[in-house]
Amino acid sequence: MDQAENVLEIRDLVKDFPAVRAVNHVSFDIKRNTIHCLVGENGAGKSTLIKVLTGAMQRSGGTILLNGEDYAPRSPKDAKEKGISTLFQELNVVDQLTVAENLTLGMEDTRLGFLRRTDKISAMVSVMNSLEPSIHPRMLVSRLSVAQKQIVEIAKAVATESDIIIMDEPTAAISEGEIARLFKIVKGLREKNVTVIYISHRLDEIFELGDYVTVMRDGRHIDTRPVSEVGDRSELIRMMIGKTVFEQYTPKEEACRDPILQVRGLSSHKLHDVSFDVHEGEIVGFYGLVGAGKTELARAIYGVDSHEGEISFKGKRLAPSPDKAIQAGIALVPEERRSQGLFTVLTIRGNVPVMNMRKISRGGFVNAAQERKVTREYIDKLRIATSSTEKEAAKLSGGNQQKVVFSKCLFADADLLMLDEPTRGIDVGAKSEIYGIVRRLSEQGKSIMIFSSELPEIMNICDTIYLLYDGRIKSTLRNGCDIDNEKILHIVTGGAAE
Amino acid sequence: MIAELPASRKRTLAGLSNETFLTLFMIVVLVALFAIACLFVPRFYLLQNVINLFSNYWYVIILGIGVTFLLITGNFDMSVGGVVALTGVLSVWFCQGYAVSENALANGLGLPYVAAVGLALVGALAIGAVNAFFIARLKVPSIIVTLGTMMIARGVAQVITRGAQRNTSLPDAFGVVGNTFIPGTSIKIAVLIMVVLVAAAYLVEKKTVAGRRTYLIGANATAARLSGIQVSRHLALLYLVSALLAGVTGILLASEYKAGLSGRATGYEFDALVIALLGGVSIAGGFGSVLGMFVGAIILAVVTSAATGLLLSPDWQFTLKGIVTFVAILAQRFALDKRKG
Amino acid sequence: MSNLSNESLRNPLERAARARANVKNLYIYVVLVLIVAVFSVVKLGQVEFFGRGHFLSPDSVVNLLRAAVPILTLSGAFTLLMISGYIDLSVGSAMSLSAVMFSYLILNGFPFYAALPLTLVLGIGLGALNGLLVVRLRITPVIATLVTLNLFKGIALLIVPDGTSAIKSTAAQKMPAWINDYARAGVVFGLPWAFFVAVAVIVILVVVQRRTILGKYAAAIGGNRTAAELSGINAVKWVWILYVVVGFFAAFAGLARASYMSLGDPLSGDGMELDCIIAVLLGGTAFSGGEGSVAKTVVGALIIMCVTTGLMTVIPSFWQNFAKGAVLIVAVALNHLLVREKSAA
Repeated sequence: MDQAENVLEIRDLVKDFPAVRAVNHVSFDIKRNTIHCLVGENGAGKSTLIKVLTGAMQRSGGTILLNGEDYAPRSPKDAKEKGISTLFQELNVVDQLTVAENLTLGMEDTRLGFLRRTDKISAMVSVMNSLEPSIHPRMLVSRLSVAQKQIVEIAKAVATESDIIIMDEPTAAISEGEIARLFKIVKGLREKNVTVIYISHRLDEIFELGDYVTVMRDGRHIDTRPVSEVGDRSELIRMMIGKTVFEQYTPKEEACRDPILQVRGLSSHKLHDVSFDVHEGEIVGFYGLVGAGKTELARAIYGVDSHEGEISFKGKRLAPSPDKAIQAGIALVPEERRSQGLFTVLTIRGNVPVMNMRKISRGGFVNAAQERKVTREYIDKLRIATSSTEKEAAKLSGGNQQKVVFSKCLFADADLLMLDEPTRGIDVGAKSEIYGIVRRLSEQGKSIMIFSSELPEIMNICDTIYLLYDGRIKSTLRNGCDIDNEKILHIVTGGAAE
Repeated sequence: MIAELPASRKRTLAGLSNETFLTLFMIVVLVALFAIACLFVPRFYLLQNVINLFSNYWYVIILGIGVTFLLITGNFDMSVGGVVALTGVLSVWFCQGYAVSENALANGLGLPYVAAVGLALVGALAIGAVNAFFIARLKVPSIIVTLGTMMIARGVAQVITRGAQRNTSLPDAFGVVGNTFIPGTSIKIAVLIMVVLVAAAYLVEKKTVAGRRTYLIGANATAARLSGIQVSRHLALLYLVSALLAGVTGILLASEYKAGLSGRATGYEFDALVIALLGGVSIAGGFGSVLGMFVGAIILAVVTSAATGLLLSPDWQFTLKGIVTFVAILAQRFALDKRKG
Repeated sequence: MSNLSNESLRNPLERAARARANVKNLYIYVVLVLIVAVFSVVKLGQVEFFGRGHFLSPDSVVNLLRAAVPILTLSGAFTLLMISGYIDLSVGSAMSLSAVMFSYLILNGFPFYAALPLTLVLGIGLGALNGLLVVRLRITPVIATLVTLNLFKGIALLIVPDGTSAIKSTAAQKMPAWINDYARAGVVFGLPWAFFVAVAVIVILVVVQRRTILGKYAAAIGGNRTAAELSGINAVKWVWILYVVVGFFAAFAGLARASYMSLGDPLSGDGMELDCIIAVLLGGTAFSGGEGSVAKTVVGALIIMCVTTGLMTVIPSFWQNFAKGAVLIVAVALNHLLVREKSAA
């Protein structure tokens, strides 16, 4: 039977959030049985688009046609039933079951409750065999590597006859050899009547794997074309960056100051031999895309994750625990503000003084007046939009929540502030307020480390920039000198540094 | 600039924290229950009866303090009943005359009362330390560990008393603390101690750094750790305090009855949990207050004494407690949902 | 890294992991053998090996197995529930309440084959109530089942009719002699019907765990609930079913106890939940769910029975609580060591 050429047609898709339009009238087609890559910087709208496709979010406007029919999934489960499976970073396999049990999960044939091995079941299991014979169906999934688990998920999607498999940064957590194997499998999917939507920052992969590529920028669709018609990485990068003008960065006048943080040979399961210095009053940026190791680096320094290597702060060895780090003078604004940075059920007043209770207490007793005063100070200083100190943190907007987290860390009187994705999901106004705060801190002699995957943010305020890829520092730049954005993107997407 | 809160009553009610709201809600429930009881139970409203409501339950309330704090952090302590029995028995045993009788159960270590009490409390702390180790350090689920330590504590008490009790060869000083009354009343000073402890606990809860930390850990343990709170150490501290409170209760009870019973305080741990739940303390979300727990205790007292007044057999206790607890949990949830929506 | 290739066996890390997995699987049998050995040796000065009064004498083995019937009947279902990540602390009281109900029916002239299904229906009802509270009303399982523990016990205490318990047994209303037939009277090797029923129950539940959809879904829900729900599994429905199953077998255990003691004692099930927990812990089930084994829990149950009956011959009864608490803490420690290994892999 003749199937339509396009398995997915996206027409004028719009997704609005209260502060921003994340997807702005995007239209393009995805041809059946191809590997269709989706690229774009952070904030380009890729993830939002995917969330709409997978039913995690509802679109604000436009249409999507799947196999020619209107497609509007109400939930990820709904999307899966309609034929779109997704491989997320958080693997959706049950470790305690075998490969075969995972493949057939939810699709078992039973008689009187007993699991039966029917032809249908055997067919599903043999999909695994055809993809990767070395993974035996009776193996316990807990014993598999991340890459192998991914393959199991792919097999499940194929076995359940998904039309489309979306892969979101699949290579971020697996090794070189495993990547090669994954690619072989992904390429083979075309013959199994599966279309792959492949999202990755690693541009080499696009060229190796993709049939088509769609570039998004600032919520808009820039272009969709066959990969063969894209000249080289630079052309792709140019499409991704466009003509974005970065705010003026004013270089610091002072010359080198003393180093306050020295990291030597830091390694963990994700990081490889990272070494650098941070100086007093310096704003250091760590730029890299998903999976580069930014959060791992921040957590290792903060003492949350275990690691090897030497970290010294203010000349002394840093003890591996957050409370010691805070005592020494380091504060972390974590990546996930709701689940890691804030106490959402408490009020603003309940959140702000938390990292330095000593300052508002005496002999173990909290001075309530001080507490309120301090909270109001920070509400004013950071312009948190609220009518009282007693507002529940959960009810604040994203930007204001982040300001509360900032207040927390500022109150800790830290000499070194680590900010992990500090302006993610925040509106433009709040963003520039936060940059202003950061600049002021640096003028006061505080050091700041910013871990971010948004290039404009890094370019805006950082004095020194380290480029991260795959857990390693690939290159160092001083801001203010001749900065080639294309070259930066080239390095963080896996290109060779010269 | 921060706007001032408007003065209208409706807004003021909305400005209350959820916790205060619930406590008020439960007080209203309490008053309603009391009124109903007065209607149906003869002589329920008499002053003596009302005083009894507050003073008969003093021991469960003291236990409730530790249980409430731990519940706020998301943990259980089911060992408190066992610790009460243990410290009571230990205080008796340490105090009994040395080699004064042929009956082994009448012989003890002959220590002075104060020393005996001190050592008995050490015994309580030992149980608390075991709890702390497995729960705070090894992160084993608290329900399991504390059920085990409850049995161990009670078991030691049973061994020392050979399954019965020790109540002979005691110095006169032994019965003093438990049997002294507040001058001019028939209220024991144990009740006074309970009031002082609850007040102190409330103070700690609302006004100290340690109290804040407890709520922070309960609200979001990850954020607490990243904010520099030493979560394990704090939990360990809470378990030690809970054990200590149970120990004090055990000493007081043993003194009151001038005997160390291995069967004492059976079921008290469940009662302590019930009154915390009645008082609106929630295991998920870091909120609740000892004040609420206190209100919960009075509610339970009203229910159980009304049942007695209606001549229901004591066997009704279990069923009543069960029903009341469920109704309270669901009612509280309903009230909070209504508030949000 | 395939774990079937020879390559990996030469890798020392892989070999160590295999060795650890083997220890984890076998240790429980070793422990059982050890315990039996210890108790067998204990009174050797005074009695003969296999002679009267010895731990391994036919009489005492039969007694042990007879006394083990309730926990053997119940712990399998309990394990399945724990595998799904949920717990039921009310099983002891459900057991007592069922015993009371069963005795009551018998006293009022119901024959065995009528009283039995009625009691089981009660168990189903109790389990359904727990399920309602936990998965429908979403009350924390520990709290919900602690409260039903007291609720069921309360109901049992209230309705204990005359003649059903030791306290209320009178000359006029006594249990018929045949009530013992089920759980006491020897049928084969001196073992009663109840024992063989318990064995059948265990076999059934082992099969359920390994070969039916209930077992698989319990592991899926406990192991990765999101993945399970994404695959279309209705977690609420299946966990509710598990609670009902536990209630059912609690009733079964209760009537066995009633039959054994000729009494419907409202306190007869006290502490059963602790025994189940110890059995489950010893058997290596993780408290977070996802993994566990009915078979190994049964071995754990046997270990507890050996320990409790063995200790009864050696130490006075007032050491019981201490001993049980110590066993629980030891089981917790052991379980912690074992289960942690698995998640590190």
